[in-house]
Amino acid sequence: MERCKTILICDDEPALRELIRASMDDGFEFAEASDGIVAMQLAQQLDPDVVILDLMLPRLSGLEVLARLNEDERLRDVPVLVITAWNETRDAVLAAGADDFVTKPFDPEDLRSAVNRLVAA
Amino acid sequence: MSGSSGRTVSLRDRMLLASVALAAIVIGVFVATILAVSAARTATKQEARSKNLSVQALRYEKLVLDIENGVRGYALSGDKRFLAPYHNAKAALPDQRRLFASLASDQPVQAARARTLEGLISIYVETFADPVANFSNRGAAELAFDSVGREQAATIHRNFAQFVNAEKDLSDDREHAADSKSQHAIELGVVGLTGSAILILLFAIYLARGIARPVTEAAAGAGQVAAGDLSIRLSQTGPGEVGELTKSFNEMAERLEATHSELEEQNAALRESERLKSDLVNTVSHELRTPLSGVLGFTKLLLTRDFDPETRRHYLGIVDAQARRLSGLLDDFLDVRRIEEGRFERAKELVDMATLLEEEAQLYRQQSPKHEVAVEIDHPPLSVIGNPDRLRQVIGNLISNAIKYSPQGGVVAVTADRENGAVRVEVRDEGMGIPAGQQSQIFTKFFRGDAAASGITGTGLGLAVSRDIVESHGGRIGFSSAEGRGTTFFVELPGANGVKDRQGHDDDQS
Repeated sequence: MERCKTILICDDEPALRELIRASMDDGFEFAEASDGIVAMQLAQQLDPDVVILDLMLPRLSGLEVLARLNEDERLRDVPVLVITAWNETRDAVLAAGADDFVTKPFDPEDLRSAVNRLVAA
Repeated sequence: MSGSSGRTVSLRDRMLLASVALAAIVIGVFVATILAVSAARTATKQEARSKNLSVQALRYEKLVLDIENGVRGYALSGDKRFLAPYHNAKAALPDQRRLFASLASDQPVQAARARTLEGLISIYVETFADPVANFSNRGAAELAFDSVGREQAATIHRNFAQFVNAEKDLSDDREHAADSKSQHAIELGVVGLTGSAILILLFAIYLARGIARPVTEAAAGAGQVAAGDLSIRLSQTGPGEVGELTKSFNEMAERLEATHSELEEQNAALRESERLKSDLVNTVSHELRTPLSGVLGFTKLLLTRDFDPETRRHYLGIVDAQARRLSGLLDDFLDVRRIEEGRFERAKELVDMATLLEEEAQLYRQQSPKHEVAVEIDHPPLSVIGNPDRLRQVIGNLISNAIKYSPQGGVVAVTADRENGAVRVEVRDEGMGIPAGQQSQIFTKFFRGDAAASGITGTGLGLAVSRDIVESHGGRIGFSSAEGRGTTFFVELPGANGVKDRQGHDDDQS
């Protein structure tokens, strides 16, 4: 049996982290970061299979986290799904290296299928 | 300047006056020169006349000599042929006498002398020459000649000599006068023309410097103003209306500049307000979307999946909390509207700040495990008169800010005590502090400093609303902050005098 896939959830809002967790299929392991610095530390420690990243993060913004992930040799290929409050930032986010994108408020089903797609790819 | 323009002569009149004065001076100079020249000419004429008179006197005397010689020749020789000069001279005598008299008539002294001469000559001719010429006795003629004629002739010659000498003196005087008058005319002409030329030059310089230059400068200045340079000022010189022009121009430029900078300030204020509004839209969008995501997301999960009762209950709790948060945000926005419309509710009762602080601190302890919310109250109860919900909102705001702006965690210290009859509450954090450049703005509505960039959520309304609440309670709110070391906010509210315990509050309410 293959090892559990790990999802790193980066959001400063505990309720949303819980919603994301609850939305996912069974069989994932979760790590949670409430700010950008912790997000980078956990990413380097855990080498997650998918990163779910809110753009509004304290201490280190989501875009900054995205840029640092892309600079990291090992983490460059980790798929990143970005959650943001604004549709307009879509192009900027994809250009910055995100692999997919949902806008708040999001449908848990959309998030689930998007993450499954990224894991399967 | 309108007052002074009333008493000064207008520029047009002054230029007209100056031109007229200049023309009068030039005309005066020419008239004087012409008079001097004509005086010189008159003097020259008189001199010529004087010389002519001398010549005529000599001719007149020659006629007398001819008569004398003719008569003497006849008297000595008895020969009638010697009388020829006498006859010729006698014939020419009347014409010569008239000519002489008329030439001598312009000088009274000489005219008198001329009349004397005339008299002497006619006596000489009538009483001596004519009788002698008619004598047939040569000896008597000779006798007469010797006794009377010689003496009379001598008198006539003396008179002539006198006349000619006088005329010569006169002529010398006139010649001298003619010389000096023509010299005078030349000098006057030279001085007058030079003076006129200088005056004309001065007038031209006055026109160029006093009028043309300021007007040219004003034109150039107007050009610069038109091109947008409102800082231009003219040097305030120039006579009358030209001075007025430069002064008015400067006033106009000043007013334009003032209006312009005023407009720019307003424009900047409008831009700032636009920016704040745009920030607000983003903030509201983000602030509403996050709890909305919680509500919609968990509702969708609860509707589409099966959960055990405990999990379902937990999720419903989250939905409830997020919905309340949405409701709280709406309240915040409505508070702003109320502040703007000036109708904040003022219903007040006795509130114990000690209890209120404890309750709020407890609420936030649950929300942030990273922070230690420490409450220290020395002398409870701390009673104030106020609206408990509003005061709770203020304290909640301050504690929530303290937590938000110290993202790395730490102690949030809440202290309260009485101070000079007031209740003073302090909320101190160990967070990032407020940059000195932003400290003056933090009570401004929708101002959030660098919070958005740091990922710190909020509407930028909390402190603005808090200040309004505190001030409507007759209190004051403030802070001290050091960037990187933390911030301490304080609230001072007037103490409720004489009522020291919560019991009194309950009695009031019953």
